Amino acid sequence: MLELARANSLWPVTFGLACCAIEMMSSAMARFDIDRFGAGVFRPSPRQADLMIVSGTVTKKMAPVLLTLYEQMPSPKWVIAMGNCAISGGPFVFEGQYNLIEGVDKLVPVDVYVPGCPPRPEGLLEGFLKLEEQITGKRRFPGPVERC
Amino acid sequence: MLDITKAELKAAFADLSIIEEDYCQCGYHLSVDLTTKDILDVADFFDERHFYLAVELGVDYREYLEIVYIFASHSSLCKVKVTLKLDPSHPAVPSLSKIYDCARWYEREIHEFYGVRFAGHPDMTYLFLHEGIDFYPLRKANVPVPAEDKELLSSFSPEQREDALIVNMGPQHPSTHGVLRVVLRMDGEYIEEAYPVLGYLHRMQEKMAENRTYYQFLPNTGRMDYLGAMSFNLGYVTAVERLVGIDVPARAHCVRVIATELNRICSHLLWVGAYLADLGGLSPFLYAFDDREHIQDVLEAVTGSRLTYCYFRFGGLYNDVDEAFIAGTKAVIARMRGRFPLYEKLVSGNVIFINRTRGIGVITKERARKYGVSGPVLRGAGIGMDLRKKEPYAAYPDLNFEIPTGRNGDALDMYHIRIRDMETSLDIIEQALARLSEGPFIIEKAPKKLKPRKGDLYHVVETPRGELGIYIVSDGSDKPYRMKWRVPSFSNLMAFPELAKGNLLSDAVAILGSLDLVIPEIDR
Amino acid sequence: MTNLEEFTPVALFSLVAILFALFSIVLPHLLAPKTRGESTQGTYECGIPPFGSARVKYGIHYYIYALIFIAFDVDVLYLFPVALSYARGERIHEFYALLSFVIILALAVIYAWGKGVFTWKRKISHL
Repeated sequence: MLELARANSLWPVTFGLACCAIEMMSSAMARFDIDRFGAGVFRPSPRQADLMIVSGTVTKKMAPVLLTLYEQMPSPKWVIAMGNCAISGGPFVFEGQYNLIEGVDKLVPVDVYVPGCPPRPEGLLEGFLKLEEQITGKRRFPGPVERC
Repeated sequence: MLDITKAELKAAFADLSIIEEDYCQCGYHLSVDLTTKDILDVADFFDERHFYLAVELGVDYREYLEIVYIFASHSSLCKVKVTLKLDPSHPAVPSLSKIYDCARWYEREIHEFYGVRFAGHPDMTYLFLHEGIDFYPLRKANVPVPAEDKELLSSFSPEQREDALIVNMGPQHPSTHGVLRVVLRMDGEYIEEAYPVLGYLHRMQEKMAENRTYYQFLPNTGRMDYLGAMSFNLGYVTAVERLVGIDVPARAHCVRVIATELNRICSHLLWVGAYLADLGGLSPFLYAFDDREHIQDVLEAVTGSRLTYCYFRFGGLYNDVDEAFIAGTKAVIARMRGRFPLYEKLVSGNVIFINRTRGIGVITKERARKYGVSGPVLRGAGIGMDLRKKEPYAAYPDLNFEIPTGRNGDALDMYHIRIRDMETSLDIIEQALARLSEGPFIIEKAPKKLKPRKGDLYHVVETPRGELGIYIVSDGSDKPYRMKWRVPSFSNLMAFPELAKGNLLSDAVAILGSLDLVIPEIDR
Repeated sequence: MTNLEEFTPVALFSLVAILFALFSIVLPHLLAPKTRGESTQGTYECGIPPFGSARVKYGIHYYIYALIFIAFDVDVLYLFPVALSYARGERIHEFYALLSFVIILALAVIYAWGKGVFTWKRKISHL
């Protein structure tokens, strides 16, 4: 019961770093409405949020900021790593790189990984539904696998 | 203008080597090589003649370091490249920051990345990098940062006073449009001093360019400015084509223009939505994104991506356009023309919006020139320079369009210019569609391994934010030796501390929004 | 001398209000998992540790604004019981008493308005 309440009102903190942030904003807009899953209110302050969608590249300069914001979020909290940069450094990993954190899971525990560069808003919504499934144990809509 | 400048330069500096270059090959008209004792006088010379400093960059040629300055003029087509050679073990140069304000940040960047000392520079703290990086990244050899340099770089501390509050408008903020941090010293509600701190999204693009071939670097260009990705793609592809000497078929030229202008409309629409959201009006955000979705549908059908496009190839396009694209584009044009009255009613006539933007963040022509601003910000200040008309590329030489120019230089003017920019883009697309001819979309034999000529090139295009300059130094191989991206948001942001001084915090947010910044292109 | 029993709705109302507030504080305290990081209790300043202290000398215009707000908040507080008992009276001089009370306080607002407490300059240039 509690899990249902938590899953259906996940409030993300506005943590758009790079290009994936625009797709995150698109998913909050009229066509791919994320509000119908309860996540319409993007809180600028981490104290009022319980989901951090890390969308974009995490650099070494940004890492302490990300950690501070993660710690300032009250529990229970979840993290979605959106985009290739947040999953494993993305297209910016090269020999001799000096400013990249290769994947946000080196800093904070991640619950759902949404791949893509940038992932389509539908991809983010699928990641969202997967997170709800992780929290409640049951999936809201049948996924592509179950239907066939 | 070019001849007059050359004659005057020869007269004023008799002992300098002034070479006339082929503009079509390398993008500038004159090239001047000097020593450090002459640079201030030469900069004064150009300042008196109302040139602006387009870019100041460093190149590591192993035996020596070279600082390249490119001076350009707003009124006529005249570009001068000035170079300085420095000893790599003790590189030191007088700073241009007293003459051109934009040199302050360019010199900080060169200092962090190359270790060049600029004598007389007011503020040599970290701009992009941070304490964890203890070598100079863009040098070819691994040169560690000496201890006293590190101390100088980390010495950023805003002056604290008893009655001033120091507030971070930090990297995570809904109104900074990305990861920009501005440290504000505030007296009550008024801003005394604003210090932008960059580098939170420094993705080492310029170093990657040196490690990748020209083909492999193509996807990076879309990620630099994700909103105007087509224009960055276009700039890069036309620059390399110019360097290698590839001619592009006419059909490809037209399609490139159509795609870039559609992308420009997308970018301006997002700006309108985000700017109004900063000022508190959340409804236009939804309308703007809805319009963007329609344009993105059309572009997705041919390019495969929604946001970070990588559609152009050297010699043409990746994919040909079909009837569905043309029909879709015509539908988009008709739809957008019907939407402008809606934006008029919703936004332009809104009393609150007008009161919040009229007279805010006024940029004069002189300050705009000193900072090297470009794009809608420059046109708002009153200087009607658009690179699509001044140095046309792709299919622009054959198209007719007006350049909207503002009068006051305030945020309201920038808004109106961007709306009229969108209308101009629709006109351009219509003309390009009419000119779309049958034919190949890519050259017959697109070279698998590029053989560019040795030398350098400075190529400029007009992105939705302003003048994008790509300076490529090529050593004949298929990897660039040095690639510098002169991005418009960097020079536009330089004007922000001066504009925000003495304003209310909410007006500072309005000013920051009116500059239309995209942080990944600043941080590269 | 009114009957004390008339105030039972007020007592009930305040009890429910307090319980409502306590409930929303106590319930998350019991149900939420507890995590503590280094900066969990720290100040939120967009992810960066704050420079200097927040206790600085701030501008006088904030203070005057707040002062006027407090005065008029208390004014409204007085008007509430008047509104409740107003329905019962039929004498016109109650209205004039109330009106003079409100006018005297309004004169203070007009004085403040004239003195420029509510107009903040858009841009200051003596910095």
